[in-house]
Amino acid sequence: MAVRRSRLELVFDILLAIQNKGGKIKPTHLMYKSNLSHKLLNGYLEELLQKELVILEEEPVKKKKRPMKVVRITDKGLSFLAEFRRMREFTDAFGL
Amino acid sequence: MFRLFFTPGWFNGFDLLFDSIGLVIALLISAYSWRIYRFNKENRFGYFSLAFLLVSLSLAFKIFTSGVLYYFPVRETVYQVLAPAAGAHLKYSGLFYRAGFFFQMASMLGAWLVIFLVSQKSRARLTKFYEVSQIGLFVYLLLLVSVVGNFKYVVFYLTSSVLLSLIVLNYYKNYITTKKSSTLKVMASFMFILAANLVYVFVFLQDGSYVVAEVLMLIGFLMLLQTYRQVMRR
Repeated sequence: MAVRRSRLELVFDILLAIQNKGGKIKPTHLMYKSNLSHKLLNGYLEELLQKELVILEEEPVKKKKRPMKVVRITDKGLSFLAEFRRMREFTDAFGL
Repeated sequence: MFRLFFTPGWFNGFDLLFDSIGLVIALLISAYSWRIYRFNKENRFGYFSLAFLLVSLSLAFKIFTSGVLYYFPVRETVYQVLAPAAGAHLKYSGLFYRAGFFFQMASMLGAWLVIFLVSQKSRARLTKFYEVSQIGLFVYLLLLVSVVGNFKYVVFYLTSSVLLSLIVLNYYKNYITTKKSSTLKVMASFMFILAANLVYVFVFLQDGSYVVAEVLMLIGFLMLLQTYRQVMRR
């Protein structure tokens, strides 16, 4: 059985999914990549937006009137990812 | 003057330098672990930080008591400060040294015990009352060993070696699970510290063993520093 992810691990997975997609991602794709329900993802996204780890942008799409919403990772979000990786490495190294 | 054991005269001072390096490394690890604790509020990081803080405290006590023993000016200064309390001709100087060695031993054994407990289980540890109450018993036994160690120093190093063996075993299991170079380095560093403690036991036979033990201890701490740097570089 898979181990339940902690809150921080979930945040890390969300940010990592955005980074792996070149820094921006559609909310629907993010939902699949981070393996979260729509409701849960919205809750986490709200928190990430408040903490300025991500921003919500609108991008114009050809042949469509309505712009597309994308979630973009900020510099603060990228440094959080780097810091989290260091912490995880420390945790693994010292068996914590 | 009370001494735990005799060390080679030419090495006096070098050991303090080695211990100071170990102290700084232990403080670095403690500070980073505390930072993680403040970040995610998970107890294990708080305990790990406390453990390395205890290691640095122990080394600080060792440096202080040995510094007073080795260097006349330091001894004179301490004499001036303690004279009103310790009486003329420092009647209670033995008590001062014994207190110093006691705190050195108690904090080092406490540190190994906490590292052992934290490295033993992977999740949700040290949160239940009965676990904490068991630790209370261990703490009592370690304090007892620290008192006895003042009269028979071998007891301290043997207890320390037993705890370190268990820590090495936990880190061996961790290495088998993760197969990472950093986990191997942590295991190796604790193996060096364990070897150092085993060599300390034989100082009563050959005082040159003290030099070997100090060098092994330094290698152990330098390997911990290397792991710390490897983590920080990521």
